[in-house]
Amino acid sequence: MMLAFIILGALTLVGGVITISARNAVHAALGLVGTLLSVGGLFATMNASFLAATQVIVYAGAIMVLFLFVIMLLNANQPVTGRDPVPFVRELAGIGGTLLAGAFVVLAFTYKDPRPLTESAVALRDGTAGAVGETLLTRFLLPFEAVSVLLLVAIVGAVALVQRPVPQPDGVPDTEPAGVLSPETGLIFEAVTQEAVLKERGRA
Amino acid sequence: MPDWIIQLLITLLKGVGVALGLLTTFAYMTLIERRLLARMQIRLGPNRVGPMGLLQPLADAIKSIFKEDLTVTLADKLVYTLAPIIAIGCALTAFGGLPAGPAGSLFGADPWVYNLDAGLLALLAITSMGVYGIFLGGWASGSKYPILGGLRSSAQMISYELGMGLSVLGLLMLVGSTSFHAITNWQANSGWMIMFQLTAFVLFLISSFAETNRTPFDLPEAEQEIVAGYLTEYSAIKWALFQMAEYVNMITASTVMATLFFGGYRGPAFLEGLIPGIASWPFIWLFAKIAAFLFLFIWVRATLPRLRYDQLMRFGWKLLLPVALANTVLTAAIIAFSTGRVRVLLLVLLGVTGVALLIAFSDRMRVLWTAPTVRREDVNLTPARPAGGD
Repeated sequence: MMLAFIILGALTLVGGVITISARNAVHAALGLVGTLLSVGGLFATMNASFLAATQVIVYAGAIMVLFLFVIMLLNANQPVTGRDPVPFVRELAGIGGTLLAGAFVVLAFTYKDPRPLTESAVALRDGTAGAVGETLLTRFLLPFEAVSVLLLVAIVGAVALVQRPVPQPDGVPDTEPAGVLSPETGLIFEAVTQEAVLKERGRA
Repeated sequence: MPDWIIQLLITLLKGVGVALGLLTTFAYMTLIERRLLARMQIRLGPNRVGPMGLLQPLADAIKSIFKEDLTVTLADKLVYTLAPIIAIGCALTAFGGLPAGPAGSLFGADPWVYNLDAGLLALLAITSMGVYGIFLGGWASGSKYPILGGLRSSAQMISYELGMGLSVLGLLMLVGSTSFHAITNWQANSGWMIMFQLTAFVLFLISSFAETNRTPFDLPEAEQEIVAGYLTEYSAIKWALFQMAEYVNMITASTVMATLFFGGYRGPAFLEGLIPGIASWPFIWLFAKIAAFLFLFIWVRATLPRLRYDQLMRFGWKLLLPVALANTVLTAAIIAFSTGRVRVLLLVLLGVTGVALLIAFSDRMRVLWTAPTVRREDVNLTPARPAGGD
């Protein structure tokens, strides 16, 4: 058990390091997939099979595929060169990282089990879906629902940010929305702006 | 020798056995598929290599292994090599958790490689990782058509994974466990699951076709539009590995459908009167059910044309997902509010209604009552032929 923990822990860290150090965004995303899978493995070694499966399905399987989807769609896999828009961003990140690491160290050395291990092991019932579901939907119902509302708000916010209403000048029919993946047709439109369309029409 | 080493060796042997078995099945599956397709199209199919073409898979294998392994200059070498390995690795791993017989029936050992409480969830997790193979293969090829194929396939697989996961929720509620053994045992007591969850089975079947990229959902490799999709820049053994992954996924999907809806490794109980114990013989019943489903996969390939991309997405999101959701909610309500005979009756009714709804709202039916539409750009043109629906 200890050996599995050491190997998976090392893999988690290696994945994390790849995520922040890789120059190619796809390689970075793959590093993150490695990290998420290793965390799933850690859950599995602790007999939390439901959590492990969910971790892999949701994070490694669905969310990371969406990440990669966007990276490939926008061809954002090349490193960004040029001046940082925020000049002291590295310093800020350094300070933030140090603070977070300090918080984790404090957490690790002052952590106490909320209840005795023997008691919680019985309550977990081998980490099956039933035990997790019961806890989530009874004792932690309010935080659980709050998180889902939060996610919904985030989705609505993202949609509201992306959908800019374009004023329609007379005589120009609705063209395809600019640079989006249309879920209806699946076509990837070039980023056609209204101005470009007008210019094109004027020339023709 | 300590006990755990023996256990490890047995598990390893079973793992290797399953992998070899699956790959042999893949090899002969290609031959059977080509022969069957040929028969359905009134031609002969491969019949030159060996008697009745039986050595054709061997010839194909030798060819793929010894062919030059090309790598495109613009390819991302590491990911390009990794992609087929991920695809086949996930495909082979997923199969190991499925039981092929009762405990201890494989010469004293258990006829499965690993047994997890989260059986079905673990299988869904592993197969969801298989998307990466196709997806990364398309990207790493460094060329246009493969990346289009890869993007398409990832969108398709994510969409239908949802429908697939939702469709089995009702089943899991009925059984009360995600373990394949519990599901098989429940069916041994109550009868095949397809009677209680007909809609779920139909949804699962359709999603399986989409998840394994088989006709009519084989858009990732639609050759008229994007050459061979993610496979375009692959050749030799890497190409063969992708093919293997597709067929192994098909076998896994067949096994899962047999296990979830058709009683798993158990045979029909009425035969027990003739030969006692025949219903729990390992392997044969499961293999027969797998073969039936594989035939269905081939049959559909010979029958149905490929969907258009917008049809695929519309079907997945606007029909499959809502029906799966409704099925889940109604099944939960039936389980909560009824018992005994009434519950069975209501579940059967729900299944039949769900399938009827699916057929009634499908694109094939919609054209019967939707008037043909004309695109706005075409209004000024004289119509040469009536604009059709889908």
